[in-house]
Amino acid sequence: MTIAMTAFKEKIRRKELYIVSAIGILVLLIFGTGTGTLSIDGVPITDYTMLAPILLVVLNALACILAFITSFSTIPNEYERRTSHLVWIRNVSQARYHGELTLANILAGLVSEAILFVVLFIFMLTNGRVAELWRLIPVYLIIAINVVIVSTLTGMLSIVIPKTFAASISVVATLVGIFHGLLYLLKDVIGGFGGMLVKYVLKILPDLHSIQSQAGNVLCGRDFDIHTILVGLLFAYIFTVLILVLKRKEA
Amino acid sequence: MIVCKNLKKSYKEKCVVNDLSFEIKEGEIFAFLGSNGAGKTTTIKMILGLVKKDAGEIELAEGINIGYSPETPYFPPFLTAYESLEYYAGIQRMPKEERRKEIPLLLETVGLENNKTKVKHFSKGMLQRLALAQSLLGDPKLLILDEPTAGLDALGRLEMMQLIGRLRDKGMTILINSHILADIERICDKGIIIKNGVQMGTWNRGEENEKSLEELFLEMVGGEKE
Repeated sequence: MTIAMTAFKEKIRRKELYIVSAIGILVLLIFGTGTGTLSIDGVPITDYTMLAPILLVVLNALACILAFITSFSTIPNEYERRTSHLVWIRNVSQARYHGELTLANILAGLVSEAILFVVLFIFMLTNGRVAELWRLIPVYLIIAINVVIVSTLTGMLSIVIPKTFAASISVVATLVGIFHGLLYLLKDVIGGFGGMLVKYVLKILPDLHSIQSQAGNVLCGRDFDIHTILVGLLFAYIFTVLILVLKRKEA
Repeated sequence: MIVCKNLKKSYKEKCVVNDLSFEIKEGEIFAFLGSNGAGKTTTIKMILGLVKKDAGEIELAEGINIGYSPETPYFPPFLTAYESLEYYAGIQRMPKEERRKEIPLLLETVGLENNKTKVKHFSKGMLQRLALAQSLLGDPKLLILDEPTAGLDALGRLEMMQLIGRLRDKGMTILINSHILADIERICDKGIIIKNGVQMGTWNRGEENEKSLEELFLEMVGGEKE
């Protein structure tokens, strides 16, 4: 785990992580503490059971963006800096090398997620939901599936295609995943080739929105769909296996 | 120690190493000489297994342990010299007891002992010396140094050359890739001169050469003596 721990230490020193986290915390605090008000059709949303899932939507989006930020350059940078040379010559397999770097990405993503969850913790406390605080644990773990999906997808792409191209595809995939529900509604509106394209893209990319919705259900004490969570875990598993299997031709 | 026969490597249509053959014997300091883009680094990468050769053979002594110091070394900036060596020792799964003994000795060898400075504050010379130290982890029998004096000032170059000289005195086999002829002439036993991936000739310290290495190099590679 030497590579993973050192890469993780390097990641948590990155300023971008804290800048995005700080912005996220600020946004979440504005809505979560009543400083700002969310309205739908002019009706302000103040009810906990309505506001909590909305906060979770923002939190999920920020967690996924942070997972992308911490992951997109890790593997390409190792090859650009030629650190890979010093690792390869020590008989480290590519599976171990890429696997440990991805583990560092995931850990950094989970730390970012934990930072964002402080806001949710405060939100629940200020809404007198002390008895429900335990729900933060399963909610954190469900959102963590999205963090792992984004980290592994980004890492996997960066092994086989150039950094900028991989990052672009990963951003699109992450955004499609976050706005999956909205795009699903739009696919029928668009129609024609565009509609068909959106339909297929939605089918092959992970539905991060649905996973986050299940976290919202758990947070509010509603029933949740285990099937959606299992599909999310399957995506994470497939991307992880691909990271371990895919190889660079040269260091 | 190492025999390379008819090595070939192309990137797309461009041939970067063409029919290169040489032999390095135990205890020798062997030089790759050539201008930038001559194919020296690609040849080193083929020996190290970082790049696949298109054709040819590389015969290494059985069970040989190779140390490698890259031209532009990178170390995690928040680590100290000791921690950097510990990191690479960890990667190569060196036992902790062994690390505790070996790392201080290596840092002493390269003049970075008792140094608590983070790598991000290191000078180019210190980085090169740290790169050399990491290449010596695990007591390699063959050391490959890619442009070990690149970017160093006069004093840094001198110190690096003295360091390599001390390793030579210990009987280590070293392959140096450099385009600084004065360094090569000072320290190496023999070498090959490469141009556009093709071996243009050989140089031997022991041989009675009418021409200096600089003259020989210019004759083979082309150019004018200053």
